[in-house]
Amino acid sequence: MFQDYPLNDVLIENCKGQVQHVSLPILSRPHLEIGEREFYIDIRNTAKYFVEDGSKITVQLYENTDDDSVMLFLNGSVLGAVLHQKKMLSFHGSAFCMNGKGILVCGSSGSGKSSVTAAFCQQEGATFISDDITPITIEDSTVKLVPLKTKLKLWEDSLQKLNIVRSKDIRRIRPTLEKYTIPYPNSSHEHQLDHLIVLGVHNQSAYQSFNIQGIEKYNILRNQIYRKSFLNGMPETEKYYFKQLLAIASNIKVTFILRPQICDIYGTAKFIKEKIDL
Amino acid sequence: MKNLVWIVSYPKSGNTWFRLFLSNYKKNAIKPIQLRTIESASIASSGTDFEFQIGLDPSEMTGEEVDLYRPEMYCALSEKAKQKGEICYKKAHDAYIINNDGEPIFPEKISKYAVYFVRNPMDVCVSFSNHNAEELDKTIHFLLDEKSFLPGQKAGQLRQKLLSWKSHVQSWKNQTLIPVHFVRYEDMIRKPMETFGSIITFLELEYDEKRLERAIINSDFKLLQQMEEENGFKEKTQLCQHFFWKGKIGNYRDYLSKDQIDRIVEYNYDTMKEFGYIDESGALTV
Repeated sequence: MFQDYPLNDVLIENCKGQVQHVSLPILSRPHLEIGEREFYIDIRNTAKYFVEDGSKITVQLYENTDDDSVMLFLNGSVLGAVLHQKKMLSFHGSAFCMNGKGILVCGSSGSGKSSVTAAFCQQEGATFISDDITPITIEDSTVKLVPLKTKLKLWEDSLQKLNIVRSKDIRRIRPTLEKYTIPYPNSSHEHQLDHLIVLGVHNQSAYQSFNIQGIEKYNILRNQIYRKSFLNGMPETEKYYFKQLLAIASNIKVTFILRPQICDIYGTAKFIKEKIDL
Repeated sequence: MKNLVWIVSYPKSGNTWFRLFLSNYKKNAIKPIQLRTIESASIASSGTDFEFQIGLDPSEMTGEEVDLYRPEMYCALSEKAKQKGEICYKKAHDAYIINNDGEPIFPEKISKYAVYFVRNPMDVCVSFSNHNAEELDKTIHFLLDEKSFLPGQKAGQLRQKLLSWKSHVQSWKNQTLIPVHFVRYEDMIRKPMETFGSIITFLELEYDEKRLERAIINSDFKLLQQMEEENGFKEKTQLCQHFFWKGKIGNYRDYLSKDQIDRIVEYNYDTMKEFGYIDESGALTV
């Protein structure tokens, strides 16, 4: 079940008994415990996961769970915890490369970051890098997007709007949801990150864009960290990210784009293309 | 310590109006607070709050799964407010729902009070229909359907089970774990000092008549319409022209046919009578 995990250096084991809890959690909730090097989460009716040192995940399955659901959370929040433990700063966004430029589209769930990434891959020949979670590295002031072997996820209505025909390769992410994985090949190497877009939604009929400068850039980048709330239990990691965020803020462009609630996905892609001179 | 106050209603029943009043009252503002800076009682079904507090993407979970975590989410929000020594006000459109663990999604242990806004269901119908830019018959069906819900997932919200209009009211009326103060929308218009004042007293906020009067004037419906006209309002949907539309009592008479009125009255008769929308003789009062 675990052979397609996005990180090759992480050992994943099924646990027959009870999965371990975090020994000294800094953040503790009924379903969630977080310390600097340990993480526990209970996804009801699916699985309990314990992550240690960014290198090992132990999984305790619930009865009657399904593989797709187990993998979905393993590739989502649990992956976010692994990346934090590895001190790999990751953003809540989808990334692609087009005309030699690395673009990262961030935003809340439902803002359309996956759809717009798919539109660039479908119509503009962009190279898909990652969906939903995108780790970043910084080398000599160059900010790079690290490709993860994640699959692009789209709702059924987005498939239709993008004219993507449902074939046998396009699978539901979970049996209970009308959301599907699209098997775009991931880029095999790192790309320089040139422009980060934060995509939001508003109730106007026109698009709007704002280029972000100064300290606001840092604040906006900080808000895009994938599973930022986990850092409430990882103060050392949060401190480590602070310097990285400052370095990223001074080396990339950041644009905030508001799209209408009701709009055409290709129209959004076109607006982005024009605004960031892609 | 219980420090969460629920501001509850079926949609389009005065909830946002009250939140604006509360913002003005709490700040004791001299000038009206602008719509864009409304701070009081953000919605309890925020997908962003859920994702932050629970650490899971609610759009990749079913509504039933999300409801299992909602008590925990509100306990976390309560804890955060407690650290600041604050009361946390939350707007909610959900009926009083019990999740699959047998727990109410609004946990008793942190819930101080609820204020419930009830409005004539026929006026709710025309206002809700305008808000969603949908046919009246579709909205009537929604108000009479025991399985009605507002969708989550793509909408950036959590799924909210509303049930029918009458079951929504009764769900909050019949629960005994959270003290609830029921307020009629029509009384907010007809006798504002008395009605808004009763909420201030119920919530144990400092009662000050001049402050109350000013907050009522600063959140006057016509003023809200004017502010929306000038600067827009983010809670409006794209297809709806105005969030603060008409707001008047008995507006339904200009829009609903006799058959449509009959359908709503027949289904909701007892609850409408209980809240004074039908008098002893069986006649409509509004």
